[in-house]
Amino acid sequence: MSAAPLLEIDGLVVKYGQAIALDGVSLSLEAGERVALIGPNGAGKTSLLNGVCGLVKPAAGRVLLDGRDLTGRAPGEIVRAGLTQVPEGRQVFPTLPVEANLLLGAYGREFRHELVSATLRYIGRRGEIAVRLERVYSLMPKLRELRERPAGRTSGGEQQMVAIGRALMAEPRLLAIDELSLGLAPLVVQDLSEFLVGLNEEEGVALLLVEQNAVLALELCARAYVLEAGRLVLAGPSDELERNETVRSAYLGGGLEVADAEPGTQAGPSS
Amino acid sequence: MKEFLQLVVVGVSTGSAYALVGIGMVLIFRTTGIVNFAQGSFAVLGGLFMVALVDDIHGLVAGLAAVLVVAFIGSLVGFVAVGFRHRTTPLASLIITLGIALLITSLNLLAFGDRPHTYPTIFDRAWDIGGVLVQPQYVLVAGVTLLAALLLTLGLQRTIAGQALVACADSRRAAELVGIDVRAVAVVAFAVSAGLSALGWVLLTPVDPVNYDSDVRIAINGFAAAAFGGLASIRLAYVGGLVLGVAQQLVVGYADKIPGLGQQARQYELAAALVIMLVLIGWRARNEVHE
Repeated sequence: MSAAPLLEIDGLVVKYGQAIALDGVSLSLEAGERVALIGPNGAGKTSLLNGVCGLVKPAAGRVLLDGRDLTGRAPGEIVRAGLTQVPEGRQVFPTLPVEANLLLGAYGREFRHELVSATLRYIGRRGEIAVRLERVYSLMPKLRELRERPAGRTSGGEQQMVAIGRALMAEPRLLAIDELSLGLAPLVVQDLSEFLVGLNEEEGVALLLVEQNAVLALELCARAYVLEAGRLVLAGPSDELERNETVRSAYLGGGLEVADAEPGTQAGPSS
Repeated sequence: MKEFLQLVVVGVSTGSAYALVGIGMVLIFRTTGIVNFAQGSFAVLGGLFMVALVDDIHGLVAGLAAVLVVAFIGSLVGFVAVGFRHRTTPLASLIITLGIALLITSLNLLAFGDRPHTYPTIFDRAWDIGGVLVQPQYVLVAGVTLLAALLLTLGLQRTIAGQALVACADSRRAAELVGIDVRAVAVVAFAVSAGLSALGWVLLTPVDPVNYDSDVRIAINGFAAAAFGGLASIRLAYVGGLVLGVAQQLVVGYADKIPGLGQQARQYELAAALVIMLVLIGWRARNEVHE
């Protein structure tokens, strides 16, 4: 075992043309940990994930997984290294059946530079992948029921499960989830949250929860980072952040003057 | 009535070949967002290679070789059109395919000259079906194209590699995030589409001679077939191809009966068919809105 953290991001800068979306962010995450990244819309949360997962080449900074430098590598390499992203808005493959969605998660992991050898590697590992699929079905029995239905014709919560299941098929050690709660009913979000906590505690999969819903994220994770306008502004244990005045007024819906939290601005279970 | 049926048989056959071109366009457009105008050139190459090979080797081997060589050329075109970096936009790619189409046309002119090419069909006589004379070659074209379209559809639905293609079409971003190299998939889509286009003209050339510049007509017809399904549906592109083929034959067959048109009718073949296509596309779009 190396002493390096599972994920280490060091001074990451992401630019779209001239616009700086992420301006030198550093954070780290240990194996098996649950960490939240919160911040308002446009703070650079998704840009950070894009930079880490290889969708965008970072302009500067480093991304290390298990001490291995993976900065600017292709998304497939990041997946093989053990980090899979569950993208914002689920992004299931709508016309494909749920089971094909899941299997593509395993296929993508075998995909390097071209289709033929990827397919041969996939077929070579078919046995292991079938076991893996069974495991995902036993974790999420609902998906077994829906296996033949096109993923686009399932509910939002079910699609989120498909997206998570697809990511799990790649056998990640770290799951980065972009906006788990977006557009989902509070009860569905609660179910998914419980599932993820179980996954983390029983299977040891580390979680990076990227959320606008700070209440939910702080409740689920022991530690959190706060991102604003492309920079980290706060970091620390969730209970400390929950007591922090800035966080309270900005993200927890409890203004200093207004004693009552505004209902309806936050989805998810708020006590 | 006999004449009508005769025209329909020919139309279904040429239409099938257009359908394959259109299906290829749909496949490429769905997986990459590129409208591939080199698709007609692939068809012409298929026909010309077949003509060049068929004298020396068995027809089946020649056909297979022509399809595979064009598929390989298609993968190279795909590689260039999709670009080495992420920056190449679909519009830039479209222009690249247009440039490649022109290049292939010029090379074909140099290599094969300015005259129509054909090769003799293996069937020695036409079938007489209820008084309608049917060239077996037409049946062969229609049958093989239908089989190819069915196999493609099955492959896309049932195999993991096919599903990877569909995944790229469904959500390129998500496909990338599960680790699929979207550009590698695009190259495969180009290869398959090129092979399909070539297959159509490998078979059609005995009854519809191919010239170095046939690619424009083929690309336009293929695009019209694809547009029938909104560039999104393989099944509708197939139907579109058939409709287009039959419409053209009917125009050719009956236009010279209209006074004043006479022998010039052939010139209006493409134009008339495209007008019919536009009307049908408009009608389809209208129905979709009303649904």
